[in-house]
Amino acid sequence: MTAEDSLREMLAMIELELRRLRHDRTEIYTRAIQPILWLAVFGTVMSEVRGIPTGGLPYIDYITPGVLIQSTIFVSVFYGLTIVWERETGILKRLLVAPASRSATVVGRSIASGVRAVVQALIIFPVAILLGVKFIPNPIYITAAFLVLFLISGGFAAVSIFVASLMKTRERFMGLGQALIMPLFFASNALYPIEMMPPALQYVALVNPLTYAVDAVRGLLISGDLSGLAVDVAAILVFDVVIFAVASVSFRKIIE
Amino acid sequence: MLSPAGVPGMTLAIETSGLTKTYNRRTRALDGVDLQVWPGEVFAFLGPNGSGKTTLMRILTTQFRPTSGEARAFGTDVVRRGSEVRRMIGYVPQETSVWLDITGRENLLIYSKVYAVPKDRRKGSIEDAIQAMGLEEVADRMVNTYSGGTIRRLEIAAALLVKPKILFLDEPTIGLDPSARKAVWESLTAFKGECGTTVFFNTHYMDEADHYSDEIAIINRGRIVKSGTARELKRSLNGEILRFSRNHKQEHYQTHGQNGFDEYAVKKVRELDLVRDAAVSGSLLEVYVDDGERALPLVVEALWSEGVTFDRISTARPTLDDVFLRYAGSCRSGRGGDGG
Ligand SMILES: Nc1ncnc2c1ncn2[C@@H]1O[C@H](COP(=O)(O)OP(=O)(O)OP(=O)(O)O)[C@@H](O)[C@H]1O
Ligand SMILES: [Mg+2]
Repeated sequence: MTAEDSLREMLAMIELELRRLRHDRTEIYTRAIQPILWLAVFGTVMSEVRGIPTGGLPYIDYITPGVLIQSTIFVSVFYGLTIVWERETGILKRLLVAPASRSATVVGRSIASGVRAVVQALIIFPVAILLGVKFIPNPIYITAAFLVLFLISGGFAAVSIFVASLMKTRERFMGLGQALIMPLFFASNALYPIEMMPPALQYVALVNPLTYAVDAVRGLLISGDLSGLAVDVAAILVFDVVIFAVASVSFRKIIE
Repeated sequence: MLSPAGVPGMTLAIETSGLTKTYNRRTRALDGVDLQVWPGEVFAFLGPNGSGKTTLMRILTTQFRPTSGEARAFGTDVVRRGSEVRRMIGYVPQETSVWLDITGRENLLIYSKVYAVPKDRRKGSIEDAIQAMGLEEVADRMVNTYSGGTIRRLEIAAALLVKPKILFLDEPTIGLDPSARKAVWESLTAFKGECGTTVFFNTHYMDEADHYSDEIAIINRGRIVKSGTARELKRSLNGEILRFSRNHKQEHYQTHGQNGFDEYAVKKVRELDLVRDAAVSGSLLEVYVDDGERALPLVVEALWSEGVTFDRISTARPTLDDVFLRYAGSCRSGRGGDGG
């Protein structure tokens, strides 16, 4: 097995996701409903209240990065479901007999889910503009923000592969997926600044990779404050590397 | 059986020795499998549910390691040199292995990339595979509109993309109706005639093993209990089969525990001089004998003396079904009884 084989398999997995999307986009639209409600209802109402110190930003603008990230994470966590499903079918067995390495299969599927997640964000993006969210009109910043989205959702896809290897059935996985995302969302700076949280939760927020992703995307898309960007990206990369390694190891359990 | 050394310069397509596999330190799925498959052969691996067929195939296709023992494909160790082995085999798992929400051709395209078919040969391989499996008309339709038989042919087509030296098929026709089964085998036979690929398939359909294989091995509880050509296997049961049946309704047939033949009586029959073996399956007792005319009175007497009744006696020459029941079936009905 060569690096070339592994790269080829990763690209093939990305191509697979894009082809699936081309045939059927309904899932992407239905998954857009919830985040759009967050922005349109929660964001608009809370903007009126002005109870949360957002550093001068309208509240809807403040939460847009978090909502974008939450929606991409949903996509990638439920991607683990695909892996569980593929274990029940023969697809996974077949991928194991391909020349690429096992970790290429894990990373490839995670990256493919990252791509799918970015497409998901692309749908919410224009809706946010229509709702009056003011993005910084800088193509480099926007591209960089989507790159961050891609990195964080690829990482969460690996989380979901890891969880999938612990859960043996789809039903259990569904429950866990729900139980995982919302607490992470609330224990981050997506909806309110960390300083407003109870101290215990602040510690959780500090080790929550979502916090760093939200900070980076908020800086790039909304506030223009890039002072934390280097730390944010470093934190996300560490998270990715660790979780890819863990997922690759646990993947062995799925095989037998 | 010939030893590999018997034909100098000839490498076996598949060779295993002392292969065992224990899952979770508890389930012993393979219990010392020795196997030889010659190049160009169609090899049928026959066994009841849970006998270890899939486990063996997954080891041979390098998906996981055996607990002990060795296996080689064309001389290459499947454990130590798995990546080389992967380049020369095609594999179709027992369960569905194509994506349903894209077209058949797209599936082949993705798999050709995953399996590292060189770019300049990709298009040709895909066309060849589509043709070999007769998928020309459906290739551009979504797979979720295919019938079961067509999905199976697509899966086999995906395994042919790499022009494999060995094709592994895990129960290739399970769940297909007779005409779909026939279509699958006709395509496979035609492909085989052209390319001379070695085919190794798992099945529990006797007739498929009988019609399409050059050689058969029967596995039961992780052990190969018999191997040879279909004719050899049938001849190994030379003589006759005496069938004693009870006139039970269909549902009774399933629960032979209460309605079948008494274990002790069967044991007694088995011990008779003229009887080679006896096996129970449902409400049917099969007694294998060399000379039916002489053995029949003795068997009848033995059964009556145990108070066993029956409604009908018939005699038959062995079929592959009988071979299967004899070597793999009797253990199932005598669970916990005789060990071999
Ligand atoms: N992943 C696994 N973990 C634990 N036990 C397993 C696993 N896979 C198979 N087994 C057990 O190993 C034994 C052999 O299973 P295997 O799937 O190889 O049988 P098979 O001959 O392919 O059966 P079938 O005809 O039903 O497909 C069975 O007792 C099965 O329960
Ligand atoms: Mg099986």
